[in-house]
Amino acid sequence: MPLRPSRSAYPLSWRVLDALEAGARGVWPARFARGVPWLMLAPAILLVGLLAVSLFEIADASLRTLDTATFLPSEEHTLANYARAFSEPVVLAVGLRSLGGALLVTLATLILAFPYAYAMVRTPSAAWRKTLLIALFLPFFIGQVVRAYGWLILLGNQGLANEILGLAGLGPYRLLFNYWAVLFGLVQYMLPFAVLMLAPALSAIPEEVEAAAGSLGANWGRTLLHVVFPMAKPGFVGAGLVVLTLTLTDFAIPAILGGGGQDFIANAIYDQFFRTSDQGMGATLTVLLVLVGSTLVGLVFALFGAGTLSLRGRGP
Amino acid sequence: MSAAARAMAADSSAPDRAAAPVVPAVSVRDVAMVFSGQAAVADASFDLASGRFLTILGPSGSGKTTLLRMIAGFQRPTRGEIAINGRPVSAVPPHKRRVGMVFQKLALFPHMTAAENVAFPLKMRRFDAREIPARVARYLDLVHLGPYADRRIHELSGGQQQRVAIARALVFEPDLLLLDEPLAALDRKLREEMQLEFRRIQKELCITTINVTHDQREALVVSDEVIVMDRGRIQQMADPISAYREPANAFVASFIGVTNRIEGRLSDAQGDAVTLDTPFGPCAGRWGAPAGRSPRVGEAATGMLRAEQIRVAPSGEDRGGLDASVSAEIVDVIFEGERVVYEARLAGRPEATLRVFDHDPLGHAVQPVGATVRLGWNRRDLIVFPND
Ligand SMILES: Nc1ncnc2c1ncn2[C@@H]1O[C@H](COP(=O)(O)OP(=O)(O)O)[C@@H](O)[C@H]1O
Ligand SMILES: [Mg+2]
Repeated sequence: MPLRPSRSAYPLSWRVLDALEAGARGVWPARFARGVPWLMLAPAILLVGLLAVSLFEIADASLRTLDTATFLPSEEHTLANYARAFSEPVVLAVGLRSLGGALLVTLATLILAFPYAYAMVRTPSAAWRKTLLIALFLPFFIGQVVRAYGWLILLGNQGLANEILGLAGLGPYRLLFNYWAVLFGLVQYMLPFAVLMLAPALSAIPEEVEAAAGSLGANWGRTLLHVVFPMAKPGFVGAGLVVLTLTLTDFAIPAILGGGGQDFIANAIYDQFFRTSDQGMGATLTVLLVLVGSTLVGLVFALFGAGTLSLRGRGP
Repeated sequence: MSAAARAMAADSSAPDRAAAPVVPAVSVRDVAMVFSGQAAVADASFDLASGRFLTILGPSGSGKTTLLRMIAGFQRPTRGEIAINGRPVSAVPPHKRRVGMVFQKLALFPHMTAAENVAFPLKMRRFDAREIPARVARYLDLVHLGPYADRRIHELSGGQQQRVAIARALVFEPDLLLLDEPLAALDRKLREEMQLEFRRIQKELCITTINVTHDQREALVVSDEVIVMDRGRIQQMADPISAYREPANAFVASFIGVTNRIEGRLSDAQGDAVTLDTPFGPCAGRWGAPAGRSPRVGEAATGMLRAEQIRVAPSGEDRGGLDASVSAEIVDVIFEGERVVYEARLAGRPEATLRVFDHDPLGHAVQPVGATVRLGWNRRDLIVFPND
């Protein structure tokens, strides 16, 4: 039989890459090759640089008080804003609310995300896995603000939830505009992030390891506790860090579901910049938020390692 | 043992209690496992006596792992029943069976040290906490890992990880040890060392063991008994020597050892002494089909002849005492040191090629390519199977 050359021996995608390489050689001759890595890093360096510059600007602004007569920031540097931030009970209340909320939301999200991620990774049925994955991505297409408004409709005094409760002769209850409504909305918003961070860590645990735990005498509860949780730790740390930082700095959910009475730090910062136009105070709160957030993340790093965020594969 | 299980065990052995009072350690009865219409295991039945070392041998995909997983309790048979020490276990989850298993990929716990891995089953099975450290030390010593107790798994070599897996599977003194090709990933030298190690430990603890492998040499070296599987079915269960010398069918004959397959037609049959008409001419052979399938003169049949059972001699020189003798031409010679491997062919007949292992202890002769030689063998060694 004559040997017919196989089409897949030189696939179309290689030809496309060949063309791209030829094009790149024209634009960027080979003798500049040493510059290529820097060129590719340039956007990242630019972004981080801009962030550093604006952080510096904010730190500078936080050291100037607002002159109530001229509505201009003062010329001289002073720590007055920080003194005010620490002495005003509202700031402390907002700070503690954000921090406590972030910790509670992180805990609740991790607890809810685990069974979802586990089911998604371990189900033997490909159809189920796809369904779970699609259900996970759907909320991403809807966006945070629209989703929060959805909750307003569902949970409002005339909403679906109260109607159903009404059928049972209960309520109506005031389900919105309180701390728990904000936490609920945040957990619901964070769940997909946590599942997506957890799933790779869980799929890295071979099924054989769980079977082994079973044959060694562990029922499923003890298998989870002694084997799956410890082995999934990097996933929990990674997911926890993402949820914690996103929650701590969240704006839309506390604003919409809190109804103005349940502000988080980001809402307070917004008010200072755009309502009272006290840039100095807004900058001060921003600096404090960055400090608290980095301390928290640093603490987690020190205690548990960077988890999947360390990008180091399977380390000790 | 529950009352029901005891009654059942008593029931099944009642008729011939005098003849066989011993309950087998493992009893597999008509077990089948069907995955989406495809039978991974079908009609599997065997008994294994206590303290024996059984190896299930078969090509990849023949259902070995599936059979083992059903015995361990990870999968429930579609049909049939498995009993361990006379107790039916189909409804018993793995963690309530007393079965230790070493997995194909070991499945050690990477977040624990070697000692913690070995202590894990003791903790899970609620052994007395005061007794655990001494017992862990004893089993780590058994596998020569005493000095490595506090190493993490990834700080151990492949062979040491094997030993941790063995100690972990044995430390709670299970009724049964299952090994699912744990040696497949090791290099040959280490693998052969670990085979003997399995053998030593099994004899030392006298634990009933079922080992799974696709390595025929391992099956012959370590086992008291061998089961050969193909496409989900048990082809033969026998001790290693019988499995090698008395294969039940052509598959077993070709899977164990290096075996030549000679197609032909029966021209004569006297009892189990048959003559197979082959391209080489009529060859004396022995009928290998089970009793009840007697040879019919004229039927198509296949002779199976092991490479080491063929004697090679220069043409014209006749080796006396051999029942069959044919002439062929050497087409390839591979010198392997302890033996010479020849490919010998009937001129112009590529389907009539024989592989021959020769170690000439007297003459040190090596036949050159192109030489015409005489090949001889005994009737006993050409085992003829019917083609149906
Ligand atoms: N969980 C499963 N689902 C579907 N098919 C399976 C499953 N496990 C095994 N099989 C199939 O059963 C057959 C036997 O597999 P296995 O027992 O792993 O063979 P072996 O261990 O001898 O290589 C194979 O064809 C395999 O594809
Ligand atoms: Mg297998």
